[in-house]
Amino acid sequence: MIKKTLIVLFVILSNYIFGQQKKFQINGAARGYFFSNELNIDESLDTITTRKANYGHTLLDMGVNLFPNNNTEVLAMFRIRNELGGFWGGGVSFDVRQLSLKGVAADVVRYELGDIDLKMTPYTLFNYQEEGVINEGDVFALRRDIVHYDMFYNNNNSWRMQGAKANFGLEFNGLIKSLDFKTFITRQRATDGILEPERLFGGGTIKLVQSDNLSLAFNTVNIFDLEGTIPDSIQYKNNVHTFNLNYSKDLNEKIKLDFKSEAGISNARYINYADNRAPETMNDWFYDVSVVSNFKGKNTSITLGYKDVGADFLSPGAQTKRINYSKFPALYQQITNDAIGRQISYSDVISGNTENSFKISEELMPYYAAYNNSNPYGLATPNRKGVYAEFQRTDSVKFKNSFVKTALLTQSKGTGTTEKKNFFLIEAGTDVYLNDYLGWKKQIKLDLGLRYENTSRGGEVFEVVALSSTFVDLGLSYELVESFDILIGAKIWSVKGNEFNNDRNQFNNIVNFNVVNYGFNENTYAAGLRYRFSDKNILSAQYQINNIKHTSGVSPDYGISQFTFLYSLLF
Amino acid sequence: MKKIILSLVTILLIFSCRKEDSETYDGPNLNDLFGEFSITQDITVSSNTVNFPVDNKVYFSGELSKNTTWVIDLKGQTTGANRKISGTDRIISIDNATWDGGANTFPGFGLETVFVEISFPSEDNSVILYDTLQVTGSKIDDGILITSFENGVGTKWSNFNQTTVAGGITCGDGNAAKGNCYYGFNGTVGWDWAIGSVMIQDDNNDFGLPASASNLYFNMAFKPIENIGNENTFIQFWFDEDENGDGIFDPATEDRFIYEYWYQDTGWSLISYKYADIQFDVDGNQVATNGNGLPEPGKLFSINVFYLANKANGNAKAYIDHLIFTTNKPYTP
Repeated sequence: MIKKTLIVLFVILSNYIFGQQKKFQINGAARGYFFSNELNIDESLDTITTRKANYGHTLLDMGVNLFPNNNTEVLAMFRIRNELGGFWGGGVSFDVRQLSLKGVAADVVRYELGDIDLKMTPYTLFNYQEEGVINEGDVFALRRDIVHYDMFYNNNNSWRMQGAKANFGLEFNGLIKSLDFKTFITRQRATDGILEPERLFGGGTIKLVQSDNLSLAFNTVNIFDLEGTIPDSIQYKNNVHTFNLNYSKDLNEKIKLDFKSEAGISNARYINYADNRAPETMNDWFYDVSVVSNFKGKNTSITLGYKDVGADFLSPGAQTKRINYSKFPALYQQITNDAIGRQISYSDVISGNTENSFKISEELMPYYAAYNNSNPYGLATPNRKGVYAEFQRTDSVKFKNSFVKTALLTQSKGTGTTEKKNFFLIEAGTDVYLNDYLGWKKQIKLDLGLRYENTSRGGEVFEVVALSSTFVDLGLSYELVESFDILIGAKIWSVKGNEFNNDRNQFNNIVNFNVVNYGFNENTYAAGLRYRFSDKNILSAQYQINNIKHTSGVSPDYGISQFTFLYSLLF
Repeated sequence: MKKIILSLVTILLIFSCRKEDSETYDGPNLNDLFGEFSITQDITVSSNTVNFPVDNKVYFSGELSKNTTWVIDLKGQTTGANRKISGTDRIISIDNATWDGGANTFPGFGLETVFVEISFPSEDNSVILYDTLQVTGSKIDDGILITSFENGVGTKWSNFNQTTVAGGITCGDGNAAKGNCYYGFNGTVGWDWAIGSVMIQDDNNDFGLPASASNLYFNMAFKPIENIGNENTFIQFWFDEDENGDGIFDPATEDRFIYEYWYQDTGWSLISYKYADIQFDVDGNQVATNGNGLPEPGKLFSINVFYLANKANGNAKAYIDHLIFTTNKPYTP
């Protein structure tokens, strides 16, 4: 019945649109995606798991932008998805993917209602990148983009939410140049009427621009449960308030300095919880200051910074992870004759077989220390302090988008001991255009990425931590003939050492430590062909092999090979 | 430029005032979870001979390398009384390892040798320590003792035994729940559930109980031995109150509260309940009495302990001991 209603609405809407002449726009996406997976595991370890798993789908996202007047835009996007193998409508779903309304009121206030994208600062509201992406090659990016598109993980690190936002600015001629106001309110959770109260998430920014060189901003984000939406009176509240102070100055004709800073506090409260483990309140603060030296005309910058994020600094909007590593992947959930749960592998991340977040979580989600232990919750990772530096060169003749990032961090507070963990992180990447070296006309691009992370903690034998993780991200794209590319890529993890993973309760308190001994090499190799009908329309076929070999011998070695066929169109 | 650097340094200094958490940490202690276990300071007892009425208590002290579970198990050589003291603190001291002479349940400790065993159940292959104590004086109970049958039958007591039942006080056979003596019933009554009873009355018609029933507990030790099992045996208590204070209980005009305790386990069990609760039945309904219906311990005239068992099951045997009232909490043997 819902499907029929939506179809009728769509037809009516279309008639209305066509009747209005040039007051609409159609956009959307279409794709066909087919997977053929095979589990590779020794017969002596696993005789029960079905080795092959094939699936796929075709879908159409049909969006209509309506412009009823010069100041208003309405977007409605419907998704029709058909699972391959469905029969006469079986496996077909018809959903509303997006519905939003935006416009300008009185030529002053910009507003947006419905599905909205929100992003603030890295410490308030920020959808940070998942692990395993260091200047990723096209062969992996093609497929990751599909996951990101489906989850609304936009390149600008915004979160897709449902609610309303508005912004407006005031300009002055005196001491202050302008004042910009941004505000939003979203609904994070509907009440179930029994145990879970209605949860809202709101906030905003007031930015004072004194000049092109000096600005000050106040940011606030707040989660709060609405009282009276359940019979009980429990309420969770979390407030984060920060200030940004940015100042730019030309040091000389060649160097421009940018001073950037953000500092703030968080306050989490568990009100009227019967559970005596719930703390009444958790408060902490952070600051992050840096100096960026921009070398004019050279597209080069060097950043030096220092940050200190308290152990109890809780900012769900900035700390929610995209991937929930505590959940088993959707594919081959259990393997071996003992039916052990399979830890998420990088093949699952690329293919979207993981549980991905679509709303912010007030709990610090479990993370996979083997992939990222220094900043598992992005810049806002609690209990980290130390220096960081970054070299960046956005363009050169043969190397493009080169960067080197490093950080030397330590815990603000020990976990399970007064000894503190130390983290060393270095990331580097560049795009090398080999055709420039070789003098070829056809583009041959090499994507290089490297990440090395080391975690250490001294002390007594029982508390020592020594974990190192090396990650190499390689990609090669070669345009064989015009618009037809050969794609090759590799993601190579090598992880060795031990760690005490935090086991937190629902109130973010550490209640136990899980001792883990890592020792594995995880290699993902992919090769494929891509034909570009246009920048927004591609056809691709790929073959990928993912192998995990453990040196510790505790976990089983296995691999997943995968053939994928992807047709993608954005319009 | 100098101003800028100065400003930055100032800002950094302001923010760098975070209290250095060098002594605290988040989560459970790793040493407790994963550290090696050892006894860093010998565990000793404050005295190997204890007279509780004089000394009040003995305590253990020592130090471990980590917080872990430890159990001090005390067993009476003669009575078989048992007391377990346990904790998880790294330091064992008077604060967490004190023994006041009591047992976990009946039987209580007598004047006897007590075997001490100290173990660490969470630590694999850990040592078990042994020691002995000599109790030269039993702990003084905190409560109003009605009788522990140590002084024989009272002048105003009466008892009832079926013709085939032997009922009375036995002393010195080591079976008492507390002290040296107890009251026992033993016999086969094929025609009736009633086995026998003993009605206890104070010589001066005054047990010395407080007026308020709300925080007063009645306690007694009960040990069913034969004809046991669920719904086969029970004890019935009759609490007779002399409401008009004439020195005579009149069942036609005064309150007789009857409370039943059904078999739950073999061995000595502690029967304990609040005196104020005797006015309600198991469903919480007010029981019918012939007086004012209010439990008034200050007017308690007599307590009749009535032993009943399933007539179809052959011989019935049970012991009772140590009737005592306590305030605010049940009796601890």
